Amino acid sequence: MNAVFKPNETFRGDFSYRNSPQAIRRFPLPFAEDAYMYSVNIEPHLAGPPGSVTEFAFDVDEHYVAECRERDIVLAAEPLRYQALPHMMSSQWDCLELIMESLARDYPQHFLLSRQGNRWHWINRPLEIDQQFTFGDAATLPREPLDYITRQAQGDFVVMDQREGDLWAEAGMVTTQADWSMDFDLGMTFKEWHGPVPLAHELGVFDRALKFLLNLRLGQPVRRLNWTMTIHPRLDTSPENYPHWGPDRATVTAHNAGELVHLRVELQGLWRLPRSNAIVFGIRCYLISLRELATVPKWARRVHRVLKDLHPALIDYKGLTRYRDAAVEWLAPFDDGAPTTPGTAPE
Amino acid sequence: MLVTGIKSKPVYAPLQADTRGRYHLMLGMGVGAAPLLRVIGEMRGAAQGLKNTRVLYLPDAGNGAAQTGPAGAAPEVERFKAAGVGDVQAFGGTPALLDHFRATLRQSLMGTRLYVAGPESFIGLAMKIALEFNLNKDEIRAEECGTLARRVYCIHCRATTENVRTNIVSCVGCARWLLVRDHYSRRLAAYMGVMVDAEAPGELPPVKEVFL
Amino acid sequence: MSDAQTMAVEVIGVEQVTPLIKHFKLAPVGGGTLPVFSGGSHIIVVMQAADRVHKNPYSLLGSPAQLDSYEIGVRRMEESRGGSHFMHDSVKIGSRLEIAHPVNLFGLDKIARKHVLIAGGIGITPFLAQLEDLHGGSVPYELHYSVRSPEHAAFLERLRRREGDRIHMYYDSEGQLIPFESLLAAQPLGTHVYVCGPAGMIKHVIGTAQGCGWPDSHIHWEQFSAPPVGDAFEVFLARAKIRVHVPPDQSLLESIEAAGVEVPYLCRGGVCGFCHTRVLELDGELVHNDHFLSDAEKAKGKSIMPCVSRARCKSLVLDL
Repeated sequence: MNAVFKPNETFRGDFSYRNSPQAIRRFPLPFAEDAYMYSVNIEPHLAGPPGSVTEFAFDVDEHYVAECRERDIVLAAEPLRYQALPHMMSSQWDCLELIMESLARDYPQHFLLSRQGNRWHWINRPLEIDQQFTFGDAATLPREPLDYITRQAQGDFVVMDQREGDLWAEAGMVTTQADWSMDFDLGMTFKEWHGPVPLAHELGVFDRALKFLLNLRLGQPVRRLNWTMTIHPRLDTSPENYPHWGPDRATVTAHNAGELVHLRVELQGLWRLPRSNAIVFGIRCYLISLRELATVPKWARRVHRVLKDLHPALIDYKGLTRYRDAAVEWLAPFDDGAPTTPGTAPE
Repeated sequence: MLVTGIKSKPVYAPLQADTRGRYHLMLGMGVGAAPLLRVIGEMRGAAQGLKNTRVLYLPDAGNGAAQTGPAGAAPEVERFKAAGVGDVQAFGGTPALLDHFRATLRQSLMGTRLYVAGPESFIGLAMKIALEFNLNKDEIRAEECGTLARRVYCIHCRATTENVRTNIVSCVGCARWLLVRDHYSRRLAAYMGVMVDAEAPGELPPVKEVFL
Repeated sequence: MSDAQTMAVEVIGVEQVTPLIKHFKLAPVGGGTLPVFSGGSHIIVVMQAADRVHKNPYSLLGSPAQLDSYEIGVRRMEESRGGSHFMHDSVKIGSRLEIAHPVNLFGLDKIARKHVLIAGGIGITPFLAQLEDLHGGSVPYELHYSVRSPEHAAFLERLRRREGDRIHMYYDSEGQLIPFESLLAAQPLGTHVYVCGPAGMIKHVIGTAQGCGWPDSHIHWEQFSAPPVGDAFEVFLARAKIRVHVPPDQSLLESIEAAGVEVPYLCRGGVCGFCHTRVLELDGELVHNDHFLSDAEKAKGKSIMPCVSRARCKSLVLDL
């Protein structure tokens, strides 16, 4: 995306975050039809259409600078939002290499990576970073490799070690999550940290997903979409800060739902890492208000129907209970009952 | 937030002897003596007998909490000896037992099996130490007995509140009322506690004793 | 994986390191570097012989930090279906080969407190790369390497230079056997054992470790054996709608590939489960040679691993 950055957007306080018309049209709607239920909706992370959120390995959009600033704010108050167990150092370097190589390849106007053997030179123009360092020597970077590079990327990252036929979440930068805690889940296996998700276990979703991921190949990343809703364009909806954002849920009315209620979509990518044989799980978060969403007639109808008919267990788990009815009521006038075309393309 | 019945709650099973192990290390607290004695009985009949079995035991003070003073001559110790285990030690408190447990693991060899019986929080603390030595689920058996009281980790201030028997509890660190969830961390040996009335301050569900 | 994922390499070094083992160095055609890998990884080498295509897995034995070339060691197999003979007899400096991206099914456990490595013959190869990762680290390790006689000890000089007395050698010719029982009975908690070598040795190590009370999760093994031969048979691929003949010395997977149908695979050795294929119809019996399916699954006869398994049948229809 040839974006102009909006560095002063906020995701707290006055919530000045807004999507430009281009950002709205490229929004990754997670509903291909008028109803929603879980599936292992994994697909190869191949290049999507030009300008789309899947065109590149890691999407950099108009919110990039603002999101990096927001991450710094979260970490300054709560350093434990970043954690890495000692044996994960080789995977940290793998992640740094993956992100730097991808950003430099896909956004040469913003990022530059030049290498002479182990001597690397990284330039990040939007964040005004110019860093020379020795790859493999953590002392030559101002922070640990994973900490360092994820402060320059949008979205959360969890690194999973593969051993004993399972995946273990043992490093991560998690500041833009939908209500789960890296600190609490650190060290858990795949099914343990997905423990709280209702219904999916009975459907065998996690058994199949785990089996698939254990065989994930180098050079063949995969992706899927996940979604929930958030009040205000707030990225930090961590359990840690629930006392701050929880009360927002009770302030939604059918009148203000258009501005307050946001669809929150996670574009999740999974890559096998070469030196550590671990897997990095990237969770890229996109926010759009109902009002912005409703500027696309097909999407207004679709989201109205999905929300209206959502399974009660999902309503509860996704935290929509208090405001679901208000959101449905706000969207109702946009739904004339006309059929919607399958697929997510805006119309 | 209020989801219950989730899959990350640990599951325990009645202890059984694992005769594929060569060394058997048993940890018990309070009524946990009974399952251990049962396993000892099973092993006495097996080929390798009880020569490589060690018991570390914490007598119950009677109210579900461990003693804080010296163990004295706990009757269970005599029962372990009568059952044929030569290597039995009793401890006056959980920290002393766990320290000795860690020291034992430092000297232990591959082929060791660990058996833990007692309240869940005791099991959790023992497992935390076992994790340091790369003991995994194939080498550990745990039976929960005694109180179901939980250790609760407040996700907001990160304090751990011990011995929680109710569905909601006031955090020892920040005084928020926390819902005691079923989401469990082996690393922290505790269940997650999340503020229960964030969305509607002051609206608390009825307090019930559920982890007895 | 599929054939679309191969890279073209040129042989830039060939050395006879023991009477039976040749050491090959492969560099990317057109220069540059090869992908980074983790110790224990293998590549599938695709060899275009005159009459057929061979696809054999070989462990990468070079340092994961040296990426201008890959190094493999190939043992000349006595009863070969042709792959190792092709490598020994037809491949020279300048030869071109196709290789797939490295895959690691034999990685070191990152939270092990100690690593015990056991190699038999050509089985030394994955450990050479793993030793690069272990050297200089804080976790103790030792290598026990068994060969027929001193002249068959491939790469020993290289090993001794770096590892000194962390290497323990055993020569069959001198009656020296690895003392598996006493070795495995005396390891501290948190040790992992890794074995690569002949099938018999692997079976023995696994059995001894289990007998000493080791849990399976601490026992790691890798075996590169050629798919077993068997009677010829015919198979019908339901989706491709073609009939495929499987000759005695070609695996079911190879025959299907030769007929132009791709089957996902990773190890080609019956271990990883990637080529798992559904059996739609069977009049006869399946010959399961894999380590992936459970006994119950094998008995049900609804699944087959075509990389190593075969059939004795009047008819067999697969979901391909």
